[in-house]
Amino acid sequence: MKKRQVLSLVGIGLAAALALSGCSAPAESGGKVTLQMVESLTNPVRTKVLKGLLADFEKANPNIAVDLISPPTDQADQKIQQMLQSGSGVDVLEVRDITVGPFSTNGWLSDMSGQLKGWKGWGDLTDNAVKYAKNAKGKTYYVPYGFYGLSLFYRTDLVKAAGFDGPPASWSDLLHQATALQNPAKNQFGYAFRGGTNANSNVVVAIEAYVAKKLDHDNAFKLTNGKTIFSAPEAADALKTYFTLFSKASPPSSVAWGYPEMVQGFSSGSTAFLLQDPEVIATVGESDAITPAQWSTAPLLAGPSGIAVQPMATAGWGTAAKSTHKAEAAKLIEFLSEGKASTTFSQKNSLVPILKSAADSPFYKTGAWASYLTMTEHPDKYVSVVQPRDSAWWTEWIQKSDSEVQKVLIGQMTQKELLASWDAYWTDKWKQK
Amino acid sequence: MTKLDNVTKGHPSTATGAPGPAVAVGSAEPRSIRRRRAFTVRRGATMVAFMAPAVLFVAVFIYYPMVSGSQMAFRNWNLNNLTDTAFVGFKNFQTIFADATFYTVLGNTVVWVVASIVPQFVIGFAIALFLRRTFPFRGLYQALIFFPWAISGFLIGILFRWMFNSEFGVINDLLSKAGIIHSPIPWLADPKTAMVAVIIANVWYGVTFFAIIILAALQSVPDEMLEAAALDGAGKARTLFQVIVPYIRITLSLTVLLRVIWIFNFPDIIYGMTGGGPANQTHIVTTWMIATTQRGDYGQASALGLIVVGLLVLFSIFFLTASREKKGDLS
Repeated sequence: MKKRQVLSLVGIGLAAALALSGCSAPAESGGKVTLQMVESLTNPVRTKVLKGLLADFEKANPNIAVDLISPPTDQADQKIQQMLQSGSGVDVLEVRDITVGPFSTNGWLSDMSGQLKGWKGWGDLTDNAVKYAKNAKGKTYYVPYGFYGLSLFYRTDLVKAAGFDGPPASWSDLLHQATALQNPAKNQFGYAFRGGTNANSNVVVAIEAYVAKKLDHDNAFKLTNGKTIFSAPEAADALKTYFTLFSKASPPSSVAWGYPEMVQGFSSGSTAFLLQDPEVIATVGESDAITPAQWSTAPLLAGPSGIAVQPMATAGWGTAAKSTHKAEAAKLIEFLSEGKASTTFSQKNSLVPILKSAADSPFYKTGAWASYLTMTEHPDKYVSVVQPRDSAWWTEWIQKSDSEVQKVLIGQMTQKELLASWDAYWTDKWKQK
Repeated sequence: MTKLDNVTKGHPSTATGAPGPAVAVGSAEPRSIRRRRAFTVRRGATMVAFMAPAVLFVAVFIYYPMVSGSQMAFRNWNLNNLTDTAFVGFKNFQTIFADATFYTVLGNTVVWVVASIVPQFVIGFAIALFLRRTFPFRGLYQALIFFPWAISGFLIGILFRWMFNSEFGVINDLLSKAGIIHSPIPWLADPKTAMVAVIIANVWYGVTFFAIIILAALQSVPDEMLEAAALDGAGKARTLFQVIVPYIRITLSLTVLLRVIWIFNFPDIIYGMTGGGPANQTHIVTTWMIATTQRGDYGQASALGLIVVGLLVLFSIFFLTASREKKGDLS
């Protein structure tokens, strides 16, 4: 009986020891450091590319191993928040322009400017990449891996058949052409309108184009006179054009259209125009409904002044403040942000690159990518601006603005009320700050 | 005393409506037979030792997170800025009650629960009655009907979002081919049709649960009782409403109570189909709570969670009290 009790105790002890050892992260073994890396905008193709790059890094740095954690995109940022809050299990993480604000405010991100001080890669980065890598106070919370920027996807065949010389260059051109191509009886619509999730983004892009000449480029929700862009008289003109695009040239159901419906609308041949990020180039390229000869992209739409405003969205790699392997983490981020690794990552994920040298690559000069080159080559006409996406209240703004765009679309709010509400919201937030 | 006698005297005593053992009814005999053992410290300690693992498990994994989450409701707990998480009393509750959207959301929740549960119950009951009979491939039919219950609610939401898509969806296509509509209905773009669409999806999903539980309850109805009803000249409708339904009434009321709580707390389909839109018009309390957490405001989301708990506790008390009164009437 006693023997059995002793055996039981030993068994319980062993089980407890095993369980406890399973809970702790293997950080160092035999001088080898293991970095825990977590991504946010996960998709299977991207994860595969990233794993390949990490394998190259491990080969070049035999004393560093990298464990990649890939949570599903929808929950990724919440998962990352939990990991950062608990202070363990993460060394390198994907930081987005919309998460850098809250994460750094909470003290979860490490300022990498010390580690990256002598990095030779700084000189190879584009001006935009450097601008986002160093915040207003000169701190580096992340190094961008690429940029998302809008261009106009359009049906070359339909535009030609309708007698137009080329794709629309301005918002009013778009309204004109999209209205001409609208034929609901044949399930053919002009524009893939965004009324669902993130509906606010294209409304703001239109307003920014209309106020381009007096826009604050470092805070593209602000005019140079310090007021919000929503207070400008031109904003009302922008809304008029934009919402007419919905009523005259878009599918009625697009009140609820988010990213998947918009892309499906264009890929299936139902809509002639689509405003989207470059990652859609690959998706549309796989379409069975339209051939590569039937579509292309055009530069972003201009306002009445002939200037188009490109709000850049970005994400990159940063280090957790509580990481005990900051030097190794910086080494990995340097590796991913230079040379072949960076080019591979941006090309395979259809991102606007962070390296100056990428502009010379044939990849970015041909086909649907050509419009991005046009925009890069004419920075005065296609102005790149920074939106206040790092504000702590950004997600609150997205919810509020999306809901109010839908209210206008279903007739529960006027365009004037919408502008007044947005103006009051940002004026108030800036005053509080 | 037979089981039939037991039921007719109004003593259905198990959760499925099946009568308890005949010996227990109206008899104090078992208690007198039982020998009470004296309570000692040793016996008490043994009891505590046996209960401790379960109590600890529940305390650590259920009550601790609940209490920890609840205290956020009284603090300024915003993930976007955790530098100041001060105690704010009832401020989060006041903000919720001052927001007009809360009352729209509350109204939507009532519509969502009532309009989902009634068809789910009726159709589920009909399916259960149908499956009770013996016919070839009954097992296969049962498996097929129970299948939706195994699918994630969020996935169902995404599937129905595409099915109800005005331009590419199968629903408009079928309605159009059947000549019922002449132009596509923008289901998810109009607040009224969007609510109808999410409820249709929920009915499709939830019918299964009623079918499973009611079928199990129906199988507990003794054949002798149905034969007796038939001998007494009761028709199908009378047998159903005066014999079968009273027999399984407790199962039915408990199932309805459970489903009300679950549907109330079931944001998956709405979240997947409309995200609460257009313009917040299909939000129910739990989808609104998710939206609140998404903007990082865990304080307000926790306050909403406590409001949900309060509402459901009130409803459960009301429902169980009403059911008990009916039970009294029957006996």
